[in-house]
Amino acid sequence: MVFTDTNLKLYYAEVNKILKSITILSGLAFLFFLLLSVRMLIQTPFVTKEGFSKVEEREFHYALFLPVTNQSFFQRLREGALDAAAAKNCAVTFHSIYEDPDSLSMVQYSGFNGIGLYLYENDKKTMDLLKTIQDKGIPIVQIESEIIQGPATFLIGTNNFNVGKGIGKLALQTGFDSLNMVLVYSRKNPGVYSDATLIEMGIKNVLKEKLSMLRREATSLNPLDAERIVYDILKNDPSVDVLVLTDPNDTLVAVQAIIDLNLVGKVQIIGFGDQELIKTYIDKGLILGSIVRNPYRIGYSAVMALYELSTNSYTSSFVDTGITLLRRDRQ
Amino acid sequence: MKNSLSSRLLVYLVISMLIILFSMGVVLVISLKLQEVADRRFKDEQYFQQLQNQLTELQSPLNTYLTSYSSSALSKLLFISETLHESIPENRPITSRNSDLIKREIYFLIDAYLDRLSEVIEQKRGRKVQQYVQNYDDLLTMYSYINREINTVSLLGFRVQLEVYRNFLDFFRKLQLYGLLQIILATALSFSLLMRLVGTFAGPMAQLSALAGKLSAGEFSIPDIHLSSVNEVNQVAEAFNQMKHNIHRYIEELQEKKEFERQVMEEKVRNLRMEQVLKRMELYTMQAQMNPHFLFNTLNTGVQLAIVEDADKTAEFMEKLAALFRYNIKDKQFFVPLQHELMGLEIYFSILKIRFPKTLRLVLDIEEEIADQYDCPAMVLQPLVENSVLHAFKRKEGKGTVQVSVSYEEPVLVLSVRDDGQGIPPEIVRALLTPHTHDYSISSHVMGLENVIQRCYFFYPEQKDVISINSELGRGTEIVIRINTEVEPCIKL
Repeated sequence: MVFTDTNLKLYYAEVNKILKSITILSGLAFLFFLLLSVRMLIQTPFVTKEGFSKVEEREFHYALFLPVTNQSFFQRLREGALDAAAAKNCAVTFHSIYEDPDSLSMVQYSGFNGIGLYLYENDKKTMDLLKTIQDKGIPIVQIESEIIQGPATFLIGTNNFNVGKGIGKLALQTGFDSLNMVLVYSRKNPGVYSDATLIEMGIKNVLKEKLSMLRREATSLNPLDAERIVYDILKNDPSVDVLVLTDPNDTLVAVQAIIDLNLVGKVQIIGFGDQELIKTYIDKGLILGSIVRNPYRIGYSAVMALYELSTNSYTSSFVDTGITLLRRDRQ
Repeated sequence: MKNSLSSRLLVYLVISMLIILFSMGVVLVISLKLQEVADRRFKDEQYFQQLQNQLTELQSPLNTYLTSYSSSALSKLLFISETLHESIPENRPITSRNSDLIKREIYFLIDAYLDRLSEVIEQKRGRKVQQYVQNYDDLLTMYSYINREINTVSLLGFRVQLEVYRNFLDFFRKLQLYGLLQIILATALSFSLLMRLVGTFAGPMAQLSALAGKLSAGEFSIPDIHLSSVNEVNQVAEAFNQMKHNIHRYIEELQEKKEFERQVMEEKVRNLRMEQVLKRMELYTMQAQMNPHFLFNTLNTGVQLAIVEDADKTAEFMEKLAALFRYNIKDKQFFVPLQHELMGLEIYFSILKIRFPKTLRLVLDIEEEIADQYDCPAMVLQPLVENSVLHAFKRKEGKGTVQVSVSYEEPVLVLSVRDDGQGIPPEIVRALLTPHTHDYSISSHVMGLENVIQRCYFFYPEQKDVISINSELGRGTEIVIRINTEVEPCIKL
């Protein structure tokens, strides 16, 4: 290639421009990635001594003892408890009484500032343990069911008499002159089962003479147990026209059984919970209505009560977290 | 020295090396740091594993002591319990992290376990059998629970660490990628810097090379090259400019010398030609004088013979003819006074009157006052009159007239010879008036009119109208010589 003087200047000017661009671009990109690496290194949780997330120090440590922790009711309860703990700068841990029965006996050694208990069995061992815990000065807040009673006991949860009244109100919607009702309690919702008497009082209070029959049944922790019980009830006693379920899962299973037995409309179901499927069934007329407690508020109130006990040494002896009735005409 | 090639090369190399070393160093430091971090992440798990081992180690000496009062078992028990007690932290902050809360529980439980252990030892010493048996059961329950809690926290920790480790690997991979990119970019940066350095002298050198090519082709008008490169190249450019100027100057001097020599040579040639012309003219004049001398002598002899024979008219004619010859050979100057030229013309007129007494009329119209004031080329009027006499009236019947007029039209001296003869054809006029710009050589044939014309051109080369011919066929011819008295003839002898 033959270059003239002008061409040469242009050629080398062009080459120089390209090289200058490469220098600037590679320099900037190098700096960019260098700064990015340094920034990543500074910001990464791996480099901090404390760990991968910022750890906030809390003032009190509470433990909530629940029957199970993986059901939606208790999950919502946990969320409420955690939000309250975060709001009050406390820490809360959850323990399953069923999965680890020793956990309650270790409360006295574990350094908790207070515990919340969701119990429904008042056996001697449990009562002794609770007394020991109380003697150690660890505040106890009972959730949903009041096993131990006394001046220093506190209850957070639904007033089950009101639950019974709610069931009665829903039962009135059937329009039946005479109601043959079966109450199917659930081990999955022990707080209701432990207050069965109170609930039934509430029902009777509303239905009065219309209530011809009120029977009590109970499902196990097996999620499909309700189906078996519903089949048994309806086959053995065709006069039953209202079934009351006290667990969301049992409610859904019972609806399926009614459909299978082709008794839709003839046997009315009063359920528990506010799952989307339950709402759908209410809209379709498969479920008469549903009792909805407020687990989030229960969990939240439990921790708030414990916090008040830690800071003020007193709290309300009973906090009613209320219920909601879900009906077809809820809009 | 700062701008020298070697120093710039050194600086660029050092910068490039530093950039690459720095980027590699960053990658290395990051890798080491992350290894350290990864190692630290598992220290907690190792610590709880150690606590669990110590608790397990306690069981055997506890059993031995409770069953056999073994002092060695007791000392071992006390040693392990003390070690365990010291290994758990006093500060147990409550945090939002679940694993920390479980750990906190474990510390409290171990505290309680060790307290209960002390009680059991004391009760054993005090032989309080029922109490230490009951407490031993509690210890077993607590041991079992603590173990479960440690397993829980380990499992939780492991799960968390597994997630963390996965994130850590992602993070590390990203950092490695950035590190690799940094090395590649640093290499590109260094390469571009080096190439720019090379460009700072490669470009100018190529320019110099191109200009040197032009210079070698003789193109000296190229502008000076001014470079801003390294010192070495700048110096070469300056030297190049100096060399270009020097060569240019030498070439110009050579050209000037050559031009001068050419001019000298041309002058010499011109002088030689002039000299040749002069010599030829001199030869012509001499030749022209040779015959008149012979004829003059012969004519004098004839005059004497005519006088002896009493032929008066013949004697007169020949005397005039002799006088004319005398006039013609009197001197050999190129320019003569106008008076002198007119005297010769009058002698010639008298001869012509004797020759053509009836057929020729001669008129001489001269302003007398100017005859003594100006010079004119010698022998110009007589050949013009002779030309008219010989050629103008060849076919003319009757009397022909030749009129010679001399006048002065400031600053031009006008000499005119006019006849009323047959005229000259235009092509001949053009041929006659063509100056012989080539080597002017006077041949023996060039006589009369052409001689006069070419001499006029010779004496006044810059005046194209020094001589003119106005001729009309059948009506006559006028030949006019216009001598600018303010212009010196090119030669005057």
